[in-house]
Amino acid sequence: MNLIMVRAIIEALVFSSSEPINSKTMSDIIGISEHTVKQILTDLIEDRIRTQSGLHIIEVANGYQFVTHPECAPYVEKLQKAPRNVGLSQAAIETLAIVAYKQPITKAEIESLRGVSIESSLNTLVEKNLVEEAGRKDAPGRPILYRTTRQFLKYFGLNGLSELPQIPEWVDSAESLKFGVEHDGGGQNA
Amino acid sequence: MEYQIQLDIFQGPLDLLLHLIEKDEIDIYNIPIALITDKYLEYLHTMQALNLEMVGDFLVMAATLMQIKAKLLLPQLATEDAAGTEEEDPRFELAQKLIEYKKIKEAALSLQALEGRQAKFYTRISGDFADQKVAPEQDGLKDLSIWDLLEAFKVIMESIDPKPIEAVPKQAVSIKQRMTEILDLITAEGRIFFKIIFNDVRTKIGLITCFLAVLELVRLHKVIVLQDALFGEITLSLPEKVCNNV
Repeated sequence: MNLIMVRAIIEALVFSSSEPINSKTMSDIIGISEHTVKQILTDLIEDRIRTQSGLHIIEVANGYQFVTHPECAPYVEKLQKAPRNVGLSQAAIETLAIVAYKQPITKAEIESLRGVSIESSLNTLVEKNLVEEAGRKDAPGRPILYRTTRQFLKYFGLNGLSELPQIPEWVDSAESLKFGVEHDGGGQNA
Repeated sequence: MEYQIQLDIFQGPLDLLLHLIEKDEIDIYNIPIALITDKYLEYLHTMQALNLEMVGDFLVMAATLMQIKAKLLLPQLATEDAAGTEEEDPRFELAQKLIEYKKIKEAALSLQALEGRQAKFYTRISGDFADQKVAPEQDGLKDLSIWDLLEAFKVIMESIDPKPIEAVPKQAVSIKQRMTEILDLITAEGRIFFKIIFNDVRTKIGLITCFLAVLELVRLHKVIVLQDALFGEITLSLPEKVCNNV
């Protein structure tokens, strides 16, 4: 199998997948190393930008996906009868921001931060599959914990939580959230 | 309606407070509580005049503000006692909350920017499969077919007596007579379905007579009523059939 063929196959796989497809899956299917897949993908992505193609490949939610060029959006929109998602309400996006940066977090904790009841905005987020339950907190009443979903990453075009926009002073807590265990261990040893 | 617009602007008491503070370029760590409380309450009154229902969250904050105001006004009596554990500024906790909330707003803003950026990317599936997949989940009636409708209509048709209304029988059957009839029927059949006894009855008074007859029979322990499941068929039988001792 020559390189041009592999390139074509990768392009075909990304196109045919309805969800962002990750490089590991492609490497398993084609039977070549993940490293090579990634290299070819990088090349494909750059190629499409260079040739000003109407179709781009983006890296999102730890996978790759075909999307239309942002500048084509107004025209694509005309083709699609109804304008797509109107975007989240201010209330929903504030709640979502808290979940994203402070996860896992309980409803009461979110409410304390926002200073309002969040019943309806949390329901909206769960319905839209942007937020999901993540077990229960070991606290009185064992309240439900919430976290963001893979759909959340896709919706905001992120590869992972580490790509969340950095908020001063929150960066530490966001990092300790992800690498908390390792950091704590290291600290104790030192 | 006007209140609805305000709700959009202020996401909650913290949001309103933050707005009041930023508008007057006030130092968040040194909030002139009296001034802010007045302004806050002013807003609250407008809101209350327009909509009473949704101000609950705002009222809690109003109470907090007034509590802080009161604490600041009260002279510090036990200065000597509290010398060691220096009294914390009652505004500190509020300032902390406001700062935290400000960060949330920043975070929300940057998420919104990402949302806008991502909205310009159309994925291949957004127009075809995705819509088909999402649509049936959104309405809760996914499994209803035309046959279900037909079935439902049939039930309605059946409940309406198709037979033409006949002349009202002049001589109504008495309860006692009906009781004998039902008892005879049960004795003959062993057990019968409750609804069977209404089969030939077509008048309201006839139905009532029948029902009263059953009730009377049950009261007199001449008949027992059984049901195998919730909403299941109701069966009538003689007590002996079930309880052999009697």
